[in-house]
Amino acid sequence: MARKSKQAYKQAPWRRQIQSIGLSLLPVVAIAIFISLYLIISAQAAAAGLHIMNLHYDEEDILRAIANQRTQLAWITSYSQMQKRAEILGYEVASESNVHFIMIEGYQGQNAVLIAPPPGFENESTSFVNELYNQSLSNWFLNTFFMSSSSNNGRGS
Amino acid sequence: MKKRDISRLNLIGIFLSFASILIILQMIRIQNSTKHQELSQWADEEYSYAIENYYPERGNIYDRWGRLLAGNEDVYEVGVMLQYVANPTTIAQTLEGVNQLSYKDIFTAVSKTYDPEKSVYAVLTDFLPTGVIDTLSHIKQDFELTNPYGKKESLPSLRGVIWSSHLKRSYPENSLASNILGFYSFMDREGGIGYYGVEEYYDDLLAGTPMETFMPRNPYLLEELPTVPAGASLVLTIDREIQAMVEKRLDEAVEEHEAESGTVIILDPRNGEILAMASQPRVNINQYWKYEDEFEDKTPFNRAISETYEPGSVFKVLTMAAAFDNGTVDEETIFNDPGRFEYGGSTVYNWNRRGYGKQSMQGCMQHSLNVCLAWVATELGKEDFYDYMQVFGIDRRTNIDLGGEKTWPLSTPGDSDWYPIQLVTNSFGQGVAITPIQLAAAISSVANEGELMKPHVLKAIIQDGKQYNTSPQVMSVPIKPETAKLMTSMLVESLKEESSLALVPGYSIAGKTGTAEIPVEGVYGIDLTNASFVGWGPADDPQFLVYVWIEKPGSSPWGSIVAAPVFSSITQDLVKYLDIPPEENNQTLMAKEG
Repeated sequence: MARKSKQAYKQAPWRRQIQSIGLSLLPVVAIAIFISLYLIISAQAAAAGLHIMNLHYDEEDILRAIANQRTQLAWITSYSQMQKRAEILGYEVASESNVHFIMIEGYQGQNAVLIAPPPGFENESTSFVNELYNQSLSNWFLNTFFMSSSSNNGRGS
Repeated sequence: MKKRDISRLNLIGIFLSFASILIILQMIRIQNSTKHQELSQWADEEYSYAIENYYPERGNIYDRWGRLLAGNEDVYEVGVMLQYVANPTTIAQTLEGVNQLSYKDIFTAVSKTYDPEKSVYAVLTDFLPTGVIDTLSHIKQDFELTNPYGKKESLPSLRGVIWSSHLKRSYPENSLASNILGFYSFMDREGGIGYYGVEEYYDDLLAGTPMETFMPRNPYLLEELPTVPAGASLVLTIDREIQAMVEKRLDEAVEEHEAESGTVIILDPRNGEILAMASQPRVNINQYWKYEDEFEDKTPFNRAISETYEPGSVFKVLTMAAAFDNGTVDEETIFNDPGRFEYGGSTVYNWNRRGYGKQSMQGCMQHSLNVCLAWVATELGKEDFYDYMQVFGIDRRTNIDLGGEKTWPLSTPGDSDWYPIQLVTNSFGQGVAITPIQLAAAISSVANEGELMKPHVLKAIIQDGKQYNTSPQVMSVPIKPETAKLMTSMLVESLKEESSLALVPGYSIAGKTGTAEIPVEGVYGIDLTNASFVGWGPADDPQFLVYVWIEKPGSSPWGSIVAAPVFSSITQDLVKYLDIPPEENNQTLMAKEG
């Protein structure tokens, strides 16, 4: 009777087989998931890296374009060009009798040119990337659970 | 049945395990291979980084109000990738005439055999403007539509032709201020340097630091991306409008007086800032390679700093200032001018060989009496005279920040080439050679209450996104403030008394003419002269000093006839540019302000 009941509760062989295959595949699946995640993150990092490298080249192109545009602007506002435009528009050089000086309250004359800010004038440099994105998993874990609990304790005492 | 299933599974397991072991073993073998290190290094060198020579953008040069005088513009290099050339004839026909390229030269270059080791790319031409490249691009696209990939040899194709952009030095004002700017030899893309003027003096600053960089190809090495800062930009003290006006006036004067050349310097005596500096000849520095056509026979690029000459009577300002400062003479001193002066076995005469009788020191300056100044110098004494000249900077460079400044040594007592008569001749500006900038700087001390400010053209440096302004420097203090004021008022009066052509209506101007004889084969004569005028104003608060030198004028030898009117016309324009009201107007404005 005892033998019979033991047999009644025994797993079917195909079930045991599936279980053993499942168990043996579990680490393989875990490793595959880990590798997949690693590959996805690596691929994203590589894509971001390539994008940044392209931006770096774009930056060079833009700087060159700015230099070019600045010079082109200087060509069309050069002394000879402005002279021609003034003549076309009917302007003429003021003679001594046409020049009148008047007093303007508070006018200090033309200001000295300032093409760039002077030293000491520092812009507050702020990061474009949210601080959360620069946090490692371990730091996030520590900050979220341990730091918050310690600060709560602090408040309680 | 059960036995057979297990054995099948075992077989698969054994096979997979064996395959895995083999893969692992192979990996270990590769890792431990003797060639591993070598191959790894080779791969790193070949594929991890690309070596790129990076030339930072050359710094810009601006005038004092931020108007660009030297910048950089985009140009293109055109070449062919030999591997992809489909139709050499089309390429040669399309590019013929561009930058004076001949059909034969293009065809020869394009028809070279492709060799991955030696012959991959051939440069056809360089420095093409954007417009030409736009046209070329359209033609290439049209050909590509009718003959994709250049597969049909009978149809035209520009396949293989490529272009890449780079910056080229550009001077939007062409020849304007070229004597000050100098030029950069941009045609030499790797070894270009600055020549003359600002481009030479500040070459290191403008060029930045060219570097060979390792550009990472590995996107994971982002943090190693190199950043090469551009060269520093410069803001000059030059005012473009004043410079253009001065060049125009100078060119007109040289032509009108049939002179060999001319030079004008305008500076602010209060701080030594050069507002304009013009000389002849000038060239379009966008075509700098042609400059040798204009500057023949060692002609200096900028006479204002590189040509020494005998200045003549304008030098009397320094002699008289020294004598007043030393106390040798004063306003009451009277000199009886006999018209000749003997000293050291030689005799000197006045410019018209006449005697003027009793003259005050103002009269001596007004009539520009050589004999009087010779007497003043001898009374001052040779030691004091040359001491003063040295403090005025006559024996050394001004160290103005422009490439190519020259100087001529001043012979002083004790030198083997100094003779006693030189004290006399030097007193009226003969037998002494200086550059226009030396004289302008020295006399500016008289206009600036005795302080000689270092002449300079740099107002500010822009580096790493910051503007660093320069500060004026005092070079020396040759005379006392009261002497400077006395000299200024004396020279204002002397100009008025002689009704000089240098006078500027409405303004009180101090000034002095100069006519220096040029020796021909060792003999001085009036046929060949240096005509000059130096003046400053307004006399009560000098804001500018103008020095005019007309070299070997043909119409008249005299500075009072040739150089003085040029000074007057320049100054009349200058006071408008500088917003300096006439004295009468100024007093009214002051009264209103009070």
